[in-house]
Amino acid sequence: MAGISSFCYGSTSTMLTLNLLYPVVRFLVITRYWKVNINYTGGILMSLLSVSNLKKIYTTRFGGTQVQALANVSFSVEQGEYVAIMGESGSGKTTLLNILAALDKPTSGEVLLNGRNTVTIRESEISAFRRDNLGFVFQDFNLLDTFSLQDNIFLPLVLSGKSFEEMSLRLEPIARKLHITDILSKFPYEVSGGQKQRAAVARALITNPQLILADEPTGALDSHATDGLLQFFNEINNDDQTILLVTHSVKAASHAKRVLFIKDGEVFHQLYKASQTYDEMYQKISDTLTMIATGGERHA
Amino acid sequence: MRKRTFYPKLAFLNIQKNSKFYLPYLLTCIITVAMFYIMRYIATNSSLNDMLGAGSLKEILFFGSIVVGIFAAIFLFYTNSFLMKRRKKELGLYNILGMEKRHIAWVLLFETFIVAAASLVLGLSLGILLSKLIILILFKMLKFTIPWGFSVSSASLLVSVLLFFGIFLATLLFNLMQIRLAKPIELLHGGQTGEREPKTKWMLAILGILTLGAGYTIAIVTESPLSAISLFFIAVVLVIVGTYCLFTAGSIALLKLLRNNKHFYYQTKHFIAISGMIYRMKQNAVGLANICILSTMVLIMVSTTVSLYSGMESLLGNRFPTDISVGFKNPTDGEMENRLRQLQDTVSEQGRSLSKLTDYTALSFAVSRDGDTFATDTDNYVSSSDASELCFITATEYEHLTGRTVTLAADEVLVYSNGGQISGFFSLFDQSFRVREHLDSIPITGQFNASLVDGYFMVVSDDTVLNQLYTKQKTAYGDRASSIRGEISFNLDGTDEEKLVCYDAIKAVLNKPLPSESAAAYTGEYIDHLSTMECKQAATSDFYALYGGFLFLGLFLGTLFLMATVLIIYYKQISEGYDDKERFEIMQKVGLSRSEVKHAISSQIVMVFFLPILMAGIHILAAFKMITKLLAVLNLTNIPLFIGCTIGTVLVFGLIYGVVYALTARVYYRIVS
Repeated sequence: MAGISSFCYGSTSTMLTLNLLYPVVRFLVITRYWKVNINYTGGILMSLLSVSNLKKIYTTRFGGTQVQALANVSFSVEQGEYVAIMGESGSGKTTLLNILAALDKPTSGEVLLNGRNTVTIRESEISAFRRDNLGFVFQDFNLLDTFSLQDNIFLPLVLSGKSFEEMSLRLEPIARKLHITDILSKFPYEVSGGQKQRAAVARALITNPQLILADEPTGALDSHATDGLLQFFNEINNDDQTILLVTHSVKAASHAKRVLFIKDGEVFHQLYKASQTYDEMYQKISDTLTMIATGGERHA
Repeated sequence: MRKRTFYPKLAFLNIQKNSKFYLPYLLTCIITVAMFYIMRYIATNSSLNDMLGAGSLKEILFFGSIVVGIFAAIFLFYTNSFLMKRRKKELGLYNILGMEKRHIAWVLLFETFIVAAASLVLGLSLGILLSKLIILILFKMLKFTIPWGFSVSSASLLVSVLLFFGIFLATLLFNLMQIRLAKPIELLHGGQTGEREPKTKWMLAILGILTLGAGYTIAIVTESPLSAISLFFIAVVLVIVGTYCLFTAGSIALLKLLRNNKHFYYQTKHFIAISGMIYRMKQNAVGLANICILSTMVLIMVSTTVSLYSGMESLLGNRFPTDISVGFKNPTDGEMENRLRQLQDTVSEQGRSLSKLTDYTALSFAVSRDGDTFATDTDNYVSSSDASELCFITATEYEHLTGRTVTLAADEVLVYSNGGQISGFFSLFDQSFRVREHLDSIPITGQFNASLVDGYFMVVSDDTVLNQLYTKQKTAYGDRASSIRGEISFNLDGTDEEKLVCYDAIKAVLNKPLPSESAAAYTGEYIDHLSTMECKQAATSDFYALYGGFLFLGLFLGTLFLMATVLIIYYKQISEGYDDKERFEIMQKVGLSRSEVKHAISSQIVMVFFLPILMAGIHILAAFKMITKLLAVLNLTNIPLFIGCTIGTVLVFGLIYGVVYALTARVYYRIVS
């Protein structure tokens, strides 16, 4: 399966063309995913993650105004893919991520992870579901100051009732790969931002999740730490770990195999990296963002 | 010009905005002011002057007002520093937004002024209103006649205003100093310091165990009520030190030990609880130790004063075995018979009749006992736990009292003891005595039985031996020597009033020398010759004044301390709520369900909440025996009564504490979720 149609591939050289083609792209994206879903229900083929027709409308507390965060989002992610989702502030990225993380419920539409609709999971099972299937990496690390790095990494496993021996066994290779073996006994406030984020990545990896959801993971890191972290993400991905990265850092996105652009609550465009270098990809992403920004204004 | 209203307005808005913190603070200030005023008002109230036994009561209340004053200062300072810690961020923001430190100082000045003015005006009004009610309650407790009228004591108002003005001024200066010393960026982060994991202070933890152990040991081992008095405060200080050490260092040492046990630690329940508790204990240890000590104080104070007051009847019975007792120093030959006749005549003149009449002549003095030797140790016989009291009567007196004739050799005695054991021989003044017989009972009860120390009642052969002992102890003790005393005690019939009238008549007669002899027969004032002159009914009002005063003070201070406890708990919960909010969110993101997080956190709150109370309970259990000894000094020997009062007090306290817990927990959950 190739995921979304490769229709757009290499076609960003002229923004005008793309703007004109935009409705067509959207149409194709939607129909393609509709098909994927049909495939799944037929029991023949399925993506690791498939999102279809997601819509989220926020209503203010007294029912006054309604804000549409997600208009109609559909896409899918295959096993072993590394997908970046880009968009400006207010484009609906965070809402989308919250729904994918099962932290929030959409107004309509569905999210299938390995065929299971996460939207309809009961409240009582949702935490265990997230613990077992999803790994999270956050911009502000979200490490607990009361735990050492090792205990922070162990937290999800302890919650699942794993023994100390098994946890140590699992941690060992991950810590070695992320170069945090020597600082495991330290506390979050004793280490650098890059080290904290690596610990957070280790925490996400240790449960062997189906999917890693990373929300601006490089947002609080300096350029050196950013490079290191992106390098780790690529390595992890090479081990067949599926990663979904939400970011507005072009650099972070340029490391992904595929970049989805969200604008005004819809998937607007996507790019495949294929055999391009990081620099080429960087350039393309920049161009697309410029196009979205200026074109978006024209649309409005 | 606009500036003039700007600062007061901002100050007012700040207080309003922070009402979650300021309202309890203000309430505490108001109640403390009111309580201080009431205490001063009663202590200086002129209607007390006319009351019997008011002297000691006034002293108690005066002491109480000093305690309230000191406590108010410490406590308001404590809550103020808590408020400042919470508000540093806000003040830092003002600083960043362009307010200079002197502008912030103005805001703080107005804030303090508003709080101080509100506290003093409302507190004093409340105090004036309640003072009448409290004085009614007090007089009822004391069995005083209740005075009419309503008064305001301007002197007490002035003292209250001055004291609290001073306290508020001090807190303001403290706050200004903090603002002055802080950098804006520190102010901004002020609320978030203290994240670092605490170090294990083994020395302090061990010191805590040692001091607490020593305090408990003293409380449990001490047998003699007299040593209990002197050792009690040492034990209290040891236990307080131990409590602080254990809460601050011991708790963390224990938690870290638990954390080092991997198999125990890495279990869902223990994992979050232990790491959370380490963090909590660092921030709250001192507050929890405060709560523990305050609760212990409240419980002990209230339970003892309630027992003393409600045990008044039995207490009076212990202290005064008969209605009236009189004693004469070194009575001359035949004096006792004459006095007895005089008494009987006076009583019948008053239309009363005597019963339970006892009269005897005895020599008693204190000694310290070491094995079979009694020594007249002038230095420490009072404080020593081996202190004993010896009481000698002659065989003739014994026959007079019991009708039993005994013939004894000069070195032979009959012995009755109210506690200690004595073998066949003992020595006293380098003279050795042989115990001819151990008696099961003695004809004179009362004072001797209620004695705080081991008492030995001895029958010696004759006056020669008695006078020898008298001379020897007089040489040993000098000015503090005892006399041979003739004691007469009896009950009267009739009402208390009739008894009191009769007592006055007896007093008038006994204060004069016998008609048959001249005053010159006595050296010094005659009144010195009359060593005791006691009437149970006359003393009753004194006792009610004294113990009622104790009870009043116990309840009054108990209320104050309880309020302090409640406020500390409230502030602890709220500040923890804000800290926990973040942790709560992270845990949910990492995969803990809402209910799991809530459960984890609430179990920690329960632990933090009830740990001090549990510890206070243990303190009380350990102190129990020692307190019964102290109560014995105050003539209360009814231990079941004290047990009942303690249990009752603990239950009531627990109930109030539980309600406070429920209320604060609600505020807490509202913050967290």
